[in-house]
Amino acid sequence: MMESIRCDAMPIEVLLVEDSPGDVRLTQEAFKDAKVHVNLHVASDGAEAMAFLGRQGNHANVPRPDLILLDLNLPKKDGREVLEEIKESVTLKSIPVVILTTSAFEMDIVRSYQCHANCYITKPVDLDGFLKVVKSIDSFWLSVVKLPHKERS
Amino acid sequence: METVEKQVSIALATIGAVILIVVWLAYSEGRAAVDALTWVSHTHEVVADLEGILADVADARLNAGRFVRTGLQSDLPEYQSSRAQIRGRLSRVRQLTSDNPRQQGRLIPLDQAVAEQLSLQESGISAGSQARPEAALQFLRSDAALESMQAIRKIIADMTAEEKTLLRQREGESEVTRSRASVTLACLGAVVLLLLVLISYILTQDIRTRKWANEALRRSAFEFHDLYDKTPCGYFSLDFQGAFLQINATLLAWLGYRREDIVQILEFRCLLTPESAQRFETVFARFTKQGRIEELSLDMLRKGGSVMPILLTAEAIRDSSGHYISCRSTVSDITERKKSEEHLLKTVKELKRSNDELQQFAYVASHDLQEPLRMVASYTQLLAKRYKGRLDSDADEFIAYAVDGSNRMQGLIQDLLAYSRAGTNAKALHEISSENALKEALTNLRATIEESGAVVTHDPLPAITMDDMQLAQVFQNLVGNAIKYRGAEAPHVHVSAAKNGGNECIFSVRDNGMGIDPQYSERIFILFQRLHGQKEFKGTGIGLAICKKIVERLGGRIWVESQREKGSTFYFAVPERNGE
Repeated sequence: MMESIRCDAMPIEVLLVEDSPGDVRLTQEAFKDAKVHVNLHVASDGAEAMAFLGRQGNHANVPRPDLILLDLNLPKKDGREVLEEIKESVTLKSIPVVILTTSAFEMDIVRSYQCHANCYITKPVDLDGFLKVVKSIDSFWLSVVKLPHKERS
Repeated sequence: METVEKQVSIALATIGAVILIVVWLAYSEGRAAVDALTWVSHTHEVVADLEGILADVADARLNAGRFVRTGLQSDLPEYQSSRAQIRGRLSRVRQLTSDNPRQQGRLIPLDQAVAEQLSLQESGISAGSQARPEAALQFLRSDAALESMQAIRKIIADMTAEEKTLLRQREGESEVTRSRASVTLACLGAVVLLLLVLISYILTQDIRTRKWANEALRRSAFEFHDLYDKTPCGYFSLDFQGAFLQINATLLAWLGYRREDIVQILEFRCLLTPESAQRFETVFARFTKQGRIEELSLDMLRKGGSVMPILLTAEAIRDSSGHYISCRSTVSDITERKKSEEHLLKTVKELKRSNDELQQFAYVASHDLQEPLRMVASYTQLLAKRYKGRLDSDADEFIAYAVDGSNRMQGLIQDLLAYSRAGTNAKALHEISSENALKEALTNLRATIEESGAVVTHDPLPAITMDDMQLAQVFQNLVGNAIKYRGAEAPHVHVSAAKNGGNECIFSVRDNGMGIDPQYSERIFILFQRLHGQKEFKGTGIGLAICKKIVERLGGRIWVESQREKGSTFYFAVPERNGE
């Protein structure tokens, strides 16, 4: 049914900014479990995420993501800084950013929304919860929500 | 003292008066003695004259008779001289007895008798001169002559007797007077003696009293000095320039100085650290006008230069026109207090640090544990999901245990997190309706209540100052437990509240559940302490620990009263605050 809503023939590009390989794999498995086909790109720290988005270095030919899943606690460059930079960039700020983190700190939540995060999700601790969340992200952000047309470069 | 002086004065005046009386008595006694002597000589004089008169009259008669018998002229002068003496004697007797009318009365017949006798003698002599001895003898030996002679003798005898009687009478009188005077004198002497004894008694008493007073004074002076010098606090006074007027031994001993090094030599500020001296000078200038220093904290310098922290309290002494003269100042050595204050402060700081650290530790540990645990749990769950029934039965069982273990671990960690957060993220406290908090708790428990068929009732609940979320949490845990640990009957839970003397609000949650053995009534509030296995009741043992933490963080307390099989009543008391 979801597939049928998706009229866009182009594959969906999702950038996952996550330093824990376990979580990366789990997210991949979750997408797989949800039977969603996405191109999942992974940046393992904030600096790499910014390089990916700026198509710098060996990311020169990467696509512009349709959705960013951003963890907050990252090595090198923190997720909070990454969020600020994205939302301050004229070209990047239209990309929806979903904060997907283990932090349930009120301060992190408030600050993220102040920095224009599009939504904030605390990773559920059990697998079923996590699978549900990923499925919801997919159904909401990649199916229900109407996003602007991709600016092809 | 005044009365003693008065008493002594009265006694002395009395003695003076008595002495005056004695002097007067002695004087009058002397006078009486002189009078008596006068009277004796007077009597002797009168008696002598009277006897003289008699003798002269007799001599004159004898001489007249001899002349008549002999006719010799040579006998006449003797006769004449006797006659002449009689006149003189008579007039002397008249004079001497002029104060005695009786004697004067007797003098008249005496005069007549003498005159008659003498005239008869005269007639005899003139007859004799005419050589008529017979006629002359007739005159001299006539009855008239004999009678007058007899009369003279009798009158003189009477008068002599009278004078002698008078003398005796006077001697008797003066004897009576003398003996009366000696009795009076003896009495007065006794009075004087008595008064002297009285005075000496009064004076002795007075001296004794004065001695006691002196002794008391000496003792109190000693006590005062002892108190001033050795009282366990420093004491000193300063003149208007701040120089020492006095200092007690205690303070001297603390400072290590001698009195002569300081008094009227040093100013107080010289014994202070520069910083304290500066502060003191400002305060002292104000003090001489305003008159009071209250617990001023200063650092004094001991003789060796070491610092002694003190508290100074002083009060100005002024003259009648309000000018500063001196002051009473006390000094307490607060070295120990300062030390213990510092120690306490350090301990409090240390405690706070370690508490913060513990809090941080609990939070970080549970939070950071969560990450790897989430991996373990997620992947064991993924294994279970993907491979259940595809490996052998052992694998399925092992995976099941791994999943169960990681789930329980997650539960524990979440509880630990909840516990470490409980009561720490409280909002600013304000007055809330505890009834609303209970409603909130019951809403959260709706499923449990419906499932168990429990009846939850409550009395009207008061408004209290507390965080509503926390109160709801406490209610939820207590009511939830009451339903969870139910008895044989359908659970009935009753919530009520009472104010306790205006200081506390005591809530109670009463149930008809299985009850708790009183020996466990303390233990159940400890973190992760449970009375049942997982098979009987699920849970980690966090609920009551959280309740306890929330209530105690507010300065309250929580306890349970229960018997097995007889239901439990959980109480928690929250101190009343006025909207802090």
